[in-house]
Amino acid sequence: MSNTKKYWKGIEELKATPEFLQSKNNEFIEDLPVDEFLGNDSIVDTSTNRRDFLKFLGFSVTAASLAACETPVRKAIPYLNKPEEILPGVANFYASTYWDGNDYSGVIVKTREGRPIFIEGNDLCPISNGGSHARIGASVLSLYDSSRYKAPQISGKESDWKSLDSAVSGKLNDIAAGSGAIRILTSTIISPSQKAAVAEFTTKYPTAQVVTYDAISYNAISIANNASFGKAVIPTYDFSKAEVVLGISCDFLANWLSPIEHARQLSSTRKVNVEDKKMSRHLQIESNLSVTGANADKRVVLKPSQIGSAVVSLYNKLTGSSLSTKSLDKKDAIISEIASELNKNKGKALVVCGINDSAIQQVINAINMHLGAYGNSIFLDTPDFTKQGNDAAVMGLVSEMNAGKVDALFIHGVNPVYTLPNGEAFKAALSKVDLSLSFSDRPDETTAVCKYVAPDNHYLESWSDANPRKGVLALGQPTINPLFSTRQSIESLLIWSGNTTNAHDYIAKYWELNFYPSFATLGGFATFWNKSLHDGVVLNNAQIAQDLGTIKITTIPVTEVSAPIADLNSAAALISAASNAKGTEVFVYQKTGIGNGNQANNPWLQELPDPISKVTWDNYVLMNPSEMEDKGFNTINGQVQEADIIDVTIGSNKLTLPVLAQPGLAKGVIGIAVGYGRENVGKTANGIGANAFKFTQFINGTFQSETSGATLSGSVGKYHLAATQTHHTMMGRQIVKEATLEEYKKDNKAGNEDLLLATNLKTIGKDGKAAPKELNLWESFENKNHFWNMSIDLNACFGCGACVVSCTSENNVPVVGKDEVRRSREMHWLRIDRYYSSDMNEEVAEKEGVGAIDKFLKMEIPSANDNVEVVFQPVMCQHCNHAPCETVCPVLATTHSLEGLNQMTYNRCIGTRYCANNCPYKVRRFNWFRYNENAQFDFNMNDDLGKMVLNPDVTVRSRGVMEKCSMCVQRIQAGKLVAKKNSERPKDGAIKTACQKSCPTNAISFGDFNDMNSQVRKTWNNERKYQLLEEVGVQPSVFYLTKIRNKTSKEA
Amino acid sequence: MFQTLQYMRHIKASIQKLLVILFTILVTSTVSYSQDAAKLFKGNCASCHKPTAAKLVGPGLLGIKSRWPDQTKLIAWVKNSTEFLKTGDAYATKLYNDYGQSVMPAQALSDAEIIAVIDWADKGGDAPVPTTPTDNKDGVVQNAPAESNNTMYILLGIGVLLSVLIFVLSTVKKSLEALLNDKKGIVVVPKPERTPLQSFRYWASNNKKLVAIIGLFAVIWVLKQGWDGLLGVGVYTDYAPEQPIKFSHKLHAGDNQIACVYCHSGVEKSKHANIPSANVCMNCHAYIQEGPTYGKEEIGKIYAALDYNPETRKYGTNQKPIEWIRVHSLPDHAYFNHSQHVKVGKIECTQCHGPVDSMEVVKQYSPLTMGWCINCHRETEVAFKDNKYYEDLHKKFVNDPKYKKGDKFTVEKIGGLECSKCHY
Repeated sequence: MSNTKKYWKGIEELKATPEFLQSKNNEFIEDLPVDEFLGNDSIVDTSTNRRDFLKFLGFSVTAASLAACETPVRKAIPYLNKPEEILPGVANFYASTYWDGNDYSGVIVKTREGRPIFIEGNDLCPISNGGSHARIGASVLSLYDSSRYKAPQISGKESDWKSLDSAVSGKLNDIAAGSGAIRILTSTIISPSQKAAVAEFTTKYPTAQVVTYDAISYNAISIANNASFGKAVIPTYDFSKAEVVLGISCDFLANWLSPIEHARQLSSTRKVNVEDKKMSRHLQIESNLSVTGANADKRVVLKPSQIGSAVVSLYNKLTGSSLSTKSLDKKDAIISEIASELNKNKGKALVVCGINDSAIQQVINAINMHLGAYGNSIFLDTPDFTKQGNDAAVMGLVSEMNAGKVDALFIHGVNPVYTLPNGEAFKAALSKVDLSLSFSDRPDETTAVCKYVAPDNHYLESWSDANPRKGVLALGQPTINPLFSTRQSIESLLIWSGNTTNAHDYIAKYWELNFYPSFATLGGFATFWNKSLHDGVVLNNAQIAQDLGTIKITTIPVTEVSAPIADLNSAAALISAASNAKGTEVFVYQKTGIGNGNQANNPWLQELPDPISKVTWDNYVLMNPSEMEDKGFNTINGQVQEADIIDVTIGSNKLTLPVLAQPGLAKGVIGIAVGYGRENVGKTANGIGANAFKFTQFINGTFQSETSGATLSGSVGKYHLAATQTHHTMMGRQIVKEATLEEYKKDNKAGNEDLLLATNLKTIGKDGKAAPKELNLWESFENKNHFWNMSIDLNACFGCGACVVSCTSENNVPVVGKDEVRRSREMHWLRIDRYYSSDMNEEVAEKEGVGAIDKFLKMEIPSANDNVEVVFQPVMCQHCNHAPCETVCPVLATTHSLEGLNQMTYNRCIGTRYCANNCPYKVRRFNWFRYNENAQFDFNMNDDLGKMVLNPDVTVRSRGVMEKCSMCVQRIQAGKLVAKKNSERPKDGAIKTACQKSCPTNAISFGDFNDMNSQVRKTWNNERKYQLLEEVGVQPSVFYLTKIRNKTSKEA
Repeated sequence: MFQTLQYMRHIKASIQKLLVILFTILVTSTVSYSQDAAKLFKGNCASCHKPTAAKLVGPGLLGIKSRWPDQTKLIAWVKNSTEFLKTGDAYATKLYNDYGQSVMPAQALSDAEIIAVIDWADKGGDAPVPTTPTDNKDGVVQNAPAESNNTMYILLGIGVLLSVLIFVLSTVKKSLEALLNDKKGIVVVPKPERTPLQSFRYWASNNKKLVAIIGLFAVIWVLKQGWDGLLGVGVYTDYAPEQPIKFSHKLHAGDNQIACVYCHSGVEKSKHANIPSANVCMNCHAYIQEGPTYGKEEIGKIYAALDYNPETRKYGTNQKPIEWIRVHSLPDHAYFNHSQHVKVGKIECTQCHGPVDSMEVVKQYSPLTMGWCINCHRETEVAFKDNKYYEDLHKKFVNDPKYKKGDKFTVEKIGGLECSKCHY
């Protein structure tokens, strides 16, 4: 659009005066007195000449720096009354419960001097089994988020609890007097006592009703189970009981339902060993390349619109029925193969589906019924209580609000303005509500439009209890006093109901009355309470059978629900009707780090690379690379290459995002992650990406994350994405060694043949060939005491990234921000490399006569579509016994210890970076800047509150020094000290590295190689063992176990 | 008041003299377990009792046997005084009332141990050898450094006087000579006029070798001074800042023999020895409300911090923590763990902290430099005896072909000089 408007700088220009015209090309209007200054001869005669000036300068700099050596007076301020259990310098561990409305886990909180600093899984919790998840490990930093509410808010202004209570109680009484409607919109409540508190509230205000809303909905499963079995529940699954697992659009290893638990269960069937070479088989049908799909033995790529047809067709083929369905063309054959494989494993097969559509889920139920999965690997009788959202009720509430029928709305644990597909409509409807109140502990899109905010405590500041599934009860305890003037929502509700009991007393009383009677044999209530608090969980299937059925909450009557699906025929008809997709299809998905976005303001999670794309700090449009080439988009993501920005439009919703090539993605489909595009949440997350929740939709009575009819624009701009890994394949090298199960059955060393290097030494062997270990330039180290080794089972590593977060948390790893990540300057001590397979290799090149340059270019291109295979490999410092970094350091800042550790001494390092240059694994990280107390890196370390998360046993590094994985030497030293004090050798497993502790699948084991009975020593003798880049001869202390895929010879 | 104090001191001195005599007579018979008894006393009793006649929280234990003729009663009393009070023993009830009706906590000691401690304390413990000369009747300790200062000033004064005298005399001599020459009519050929600088140059050009040697030494001296100065940057040996409360380690750890661990209770469990919290002070100072040197003033500061009213014995709400000045600090990149050294390494506190029990104001005794740490790690033998952790390791060390008899199993030998032992 051309613009004819003229702008002028001043009156002179408007009038075009001669003086103006004369001087308009000069930078300065007036002449500068340059000659006057340079022509001043007296400067030459001045007594202070340049040399004197330099002398003075030098002297004053020296004097100033010497004076600066004086250390400031430091104070030591002891407690006035020291709490008995706190001993400064010694960590305390408390069992607690993590629940954010989406993820549940029993956790152990490590505190130092009263500050929580590290979260790990609770070994006693049957759900986490001691494992962790990136979002749970990082939740400790969300506690120290300085953008949290510091006091209750009234109309956007800080207030105090007294005024808030009187205002809210007053209004509630008015509304109750006029029989006005009160609604509580809440995330799933798994806390029995919170339910009781809500019940107390609804008793006091009889017009109050509860609407349960899960941002990530699982509603279709309970609707389908209601239709199929008359039980509206979400079942629990046991993947360890299945020999064949089929996942359909279901990321059950990283995000779906109970990922930590599923990962541990599945990995237990995939850790092959020599004695029993058995392994489960994992099949996956999906549109996206999810973490789960990336680990599947066989992966089928379908468009979202085809998935329903595939499910029905699978059912037909399994049972021989003929429900009406659309043909999948070429893919029909693969579905038949899957069907026959499942049929062969009846009773040992399990199918899970992540599509939130009740018709599809109903067919899935029928499939699982046919396969005999119920009772074997699916349990309806021990239902999961963590997802109780009722999608239709939520939509009903919005229309009720729109009609002006709601007088008071309390929002608890959810952010509907952001997560609802019609968030804008909700926002508009909220303005019609007289009393709108949010319990959110930090600002979000919803609190911005609520009149009142009664900020809840963070879970680490709260008393809580939980009943995540039948037979499991859990207690959560605060590990720090509330940092701000916040109050637990349970207390707020009680106060407004006229009950001033505090949360602890209320929960304890509730437990005493309801749960203790079943455990009275254990002793008094105090004994039972203390034991439960100590363990964090109470298990007893029979005793807690009553569960939450006893507490009745008035829930909203659902009006908008579509008629229940009568039988499979009508389900199939519904599926068939929904499969008529037009335009580009879109699915939205969760990233392992950001999830649904409730912790988006957490810099650890923002900087955690996505397991598959390896991109940090952004969401983007995923697209198949060949499709991108057709459209002329840049398919290469690198430091210099910019991604194209496109507009994606569905109806009135438009998102503008960069587009990224994703191998293994269906064509004609794009994927966008939710959790980004946050507003009003804090400096870290504001303005990053766009909100993909707008592309979810409410159909057939549930929120669904697949939609179609998107139109894509051409490139409307360029954008730099920051990825930690921009190359895709192993370029024909054996970095990750792999073999198929069939090969492994024949040969223990399949895929891991001995490496022999040709030498001209006559002394070695007959032909001069030698193993790299035999060729030493240096003398070996003697490890008389300990010899710390680590093994990583590539069959168990699913690439989820929990270890990266826990390493960050344990070792004070700084966050560097998007720009620095783009320059490959991320500081993570532990990275997970992800490699795609390539169709090109040495043999193919030779056969087809491809030239050398072409060959390497093609090697970098991942295999097309379905064929792409993915491997994950965690890489940290390998603690080489002949470490090349050690020999090049000019100041001996990196040295070898008698315990086999490669030590990094920050205070000696002068930052030559020779070591990083010489490291074959590229695991060394350089502090290009000071990342703490630096306004340019305005993350948690530039924040007095955020700094409270730092581990006091680990140095915070400064600018100009190298750093790397230390194998958690602080934990090793602490473990040794405990052993010395007890006059014993450290027991195997007593010392755990942070990554090892957080791993949900126990892929990492760590221990003393000199201890003959240690896990790591036993693993060393496994014939799958190999060392990364063994041919370099650096003899690492970290070793890997080859990846075994359960593929048939035809598939391989 | 002053007189009474003097009188007290006099008595104390005589008691001490008496004790010395008693001690020397008895020491031979008791020395075998007196050390154990002393340790037991220090660990269990010293925070409330003195082995002398002086009262602390409870009565002084000197001559306790005469006050408790029945040993079994005494043992029962020590073991659980609350229980014993119930027997209605007249003396026990009197003691209870005399000492503000505060109960002595029950002691988990065996009969033999209690007897040992009582025997030991009955004779006044290991009575300290009087440090002040016996003729110092007033008990005033001479301020030795001040004395030496005075002498120096006197010497300096004399020196100035003498040099003035020399100057005056030499001027007089010169004028007299001039007068004499004048009278005799001798014309003195004046030496060539030289400024002092010129004359120095003249001398230097005639003594080049000497100048070179002196110059060399001067340069070396300056460099050495500079080097030492730079090494001393950031080293704060003898740093003894004034603390917010004039707490005397000499009084508590020295005179009253309270064990270090009683207050610094983290030393065997944590990386920090820990400065005691104010509630630990109150274990004793709830009763001892007046100190020997500063009276109520300094102890009053603890009460102020805790908002404690010694009259009503009640704590208020306006509590403010005591901000001690940290004496020993290591840089952030150095990890030091007290429990490793004290509990596992069995190092005495005094080895690094010096004679704290004689420090009125505590000071940094050791340089706390890395060289100092390393030296100790080179020389100190690992406390491997009775510690199963080191058992195999020590065997390997001894069986090593490189091992020579007399080689010490030092910290260095097990990797105690490695970077990652302290820096991570």
